[in-house]
Amino acid sequence: MIRIAAVGDVHVDKDVLGRYRPALEQLPEVADALLIAGDLTRHGTVEEATSFVTEFGELAVPVVVVLGNHDHQSDQQDEVAAVLTDAGITVLEGTSVVLDLHGHRLGIAGAKGFGGGFAGASASNFGEREMKNFVGTTVRIADQLGATLRATECDALVALTHYSPVPETLVGEPLEIYPFLGSYLLAQAIDSAPTALALHGHAHHGSERGRTAGGVPVRNVAHPVIKQAFNVYQLLSEDVDSGLVRA
Amino acid sequence: MTNEVDEYLEARIQRLLTEDATIAEQGITVQRREQIVVLGGEVESAQRRDEICRQINTHFPDVEIACDIGIVRAQAPTEVEEIS
Repeated sequence: MIRIAAVGDVHVDKDVLGRYRPALEQLPEVADALLIAGDLTRHGTVEEATSFVTEFGELAVPVVVVLGNHDHQSDQQDEVAAVLTDAGITVLEGTSVVLDLHGHRLGIAGAKGFGGGFAGASASNFGEREMKNFVGTTVRIADQLGATLRATECDALVALTHYSPVPETLVGEPLEIYPFLGSYLLAQAIDSAPTALALHGHAHHGSERGRTAGGVPVRNVAHPVIKQAFNVYQLLSEDVDSGLVRA
Repeated sequence: MTNEVDEYLEARIQRLLTEDATIAEQGITVQRREQIVVLGGEVESAQRRDEICRQINTHFPDVEIACDIGIVRAQAPTEVEEIS
């Protein structure tokens, strides 16, 4: 059995310091790792990344993250990632990590992802250079995510993105902005590997649960959606156990 | 320019909420009622909620604003979901 904690869109700055910490201190008792689905900061500055490390660093479980669109706002995403990495946090972008958790190998492949929309209402790699750049970015990210997922050898495989791979977890958002919230290409990548669970954020007004066309469970863990410090998911269960994690 | 509660005003408010560096929120809803604009959604701190309302009042002094923005709870979970 593996238990993973997950949240996204925590948007840390100095004013948030201390809000998550009491819950995070309980992590070792309830989960084996913490995954964060992007938008770690408000504007993607080094200063905010440092605040994020203060709040989410030095935990007793491994922390694995992807960046979100907010973390790119100041064009300092590389510096932000370096601050996180220096603090022992694993930052994924088209890459994966395998954690050995009491005898089980948890593989996590991550990428920020990007938009484009979903089957039947998606943007095409056609026309103006700006449009081709937009869709081409998603194609490149999704291709890399798929290749990384397929190459990750583990007992349980998790896909971690910021943007959504399915429309079901966007329900609650205006339909008109779905193409800015995710892309079916991410789901296609997720379905190309034996993925056990896909986690994403970004859609603050979305819904918690969905599935890809290939049947992979998808969870939107954006903080305003889950309305608690993190959710806990159990994989590789020996027995069905949906009881209390901790009173 | 008058600040009538029309769709252009709503769009200006939405852009301010996202693009103003002191706000940078994409998850705030803007509802136009007859004579009032209702802001909804949730943010990470009371300071952010107060700053949003302050900025909107500063930029649109003739518009009556109802600030129904909440603060996202951050308590520890009490349940686990089994994935199958």
